[in-house]
Amino acid sequence: MKNYNDIATDGGSDVLGQVAEQLDRLNQRLKRIRTMIAVMSGKGGVGKSTVTACMADALTRSGIRTGVMDADLNGPCMMQMMGVSDFKPLSRNGSMAAARNEFGIPVMSMGMFLPGEYTPLVWEANTQQGAYTWRSMVEMSALRELLSDTDWGDLDVLLIDLPPGAERLQNLADLLPNLSGTVVVTTPSLVAMKVVGRSISMATEIAKVRVAGVIENMSAVVCPACDYRDQFFRGDSTVKDLAEAHNVPYLGAIPYDQGLAYYLDSGESYLKHHPSKPAAAAILEITQRMVSWIKPQFS
Amino acid sequence: MKFLCVPCDQPMNLHSTHGPFDGSMSIVYKCSACDVQMAMLTNKAETQMVRSLGVKIGGRTTPAEPMETLRSNLAVSHEESASEPVPSGGKCPFTGVISDAIASAETESALTWTPEALTRLEAIPDYVQPMVKRNIEDYTRAKNLSVIDDTVMDDMKGQLGM
Repeated sequence: MKNYNDIATDGGSDVLGQVAEQLDRLNQRLKRIRTMIAVMSGKGGVGKSTVTACMADALTRSGIRTGVMDADLNGPCMMQMMGVSDFKPLSRNGSMAAARNEFGIPVMSMGMFLPGEYTPLVWEANTQQGAYTWRSMVEMSALRELLSDTDWGDLDVLLIDLPPGAERLQNLADLLPNLSGTVVVTTPSLVAMKVVGRSISMATEIAKVRVAGVIENMSAVVCPACDYRDQFFRGDSTVKDLAEAHNVPYLGAIPYDQGLAYYLDSGESYLKHHPSKPAAAAILEITQRMVSWIKPQFS
Repeated sequence: MKFLCVPCDQPMNLHSTHGPFDGSMSIVYKCSACDVQMAMLTNKAETQMVRSLGVKIGGRTTPAEPMETLRSNLAVSHEESASEPVPSGGKCPFTGVISDAIASAETESALTWTPEALTRLEAIPDYVQPMVKRNIEDYTRAKNLSVIDDTVMDDMKGQLGM
């Protein structure tokens, strides 16, 4: 009796061919993007999206053509942070146009497809019961389409803002074998660093993704009046220790600044309005280190 | 997934698809050698799994539209303008080859089931309900009726053994 491998086709659906076509479409799109960097942490609330938005801004100011992909399908926020909240997706020549902010940075987000500010992401199904069995599959398909069907134009860097969860990077790496690397964001909180440490291990040992470095967010609080600087979190372990323990670069520390949160909430550029603030200086410095890491990969 | 006709030791080919009805599809395969047919009946979860992959059972007949899977799978999305329709057929993993079946399914949903008829349908074992429902609706349509009531069910009773 014949076995599976003795039969050439699946009887007419060519499911494998369809999947190959999807991946081919993705690869064709990504040919115009020189590097792709995932911004991850594993822990929620450490400032991944803040770092993504600020780094996109800073990279663009350095002459690096940068795009932003919001891979947090269930909690999209890059539209707001990048100042493109009102954008409605529109297909054009077989692609979906990306939103472009005031600096021309292309942005794509699941949020653009949800009608209301508080509309949750719900996938249509005959029943939502047992949705755990298929939700991750449809979300991977959605992520693939957000990447492959968006007209990004020619980019030097695509920053991909990942949702919390150590496994997210591995999923992305499965989808993007040519992922250039990842930037890991953490706060100096011991709890955050433990979770982030696992994520770094996941990146290097399991997903086999290069770690460009670790960024310490909310490293300190700075008095706006006198520039007095104090620790935000107290403890003996430091983010530098964490980076060293995992043998990955420490890219720098961004102090907490109320103004940063304010400008990101309003979708305006913090760097444009306050380029000399300590947080802005830190972002620019970290970005220059990133540029040094990214540029050799252009050729 | 592939299907083999055991007596002939020959691969079976997709013949037709039916549904979706209540999340279930019937996919009929036919042996190219002996013409024997068999049907694969999917449950709701299996239908949804295929749909989640963004592939079409029966193969694609048209190129994928931008973000087709994403847009067509959203339960609630932006109102689409006339120039930006939700991708056609994307709601179902089988529509690459059976857009007619979807149109038919939509027509079928326009038929009205009385509560009594529906109760009788639901008394039938789950795994054959989609097939039975389709047969009843085909019969109702053939009779130019729009309501499926006890009379229709009684007419079908002998044929279907309900």
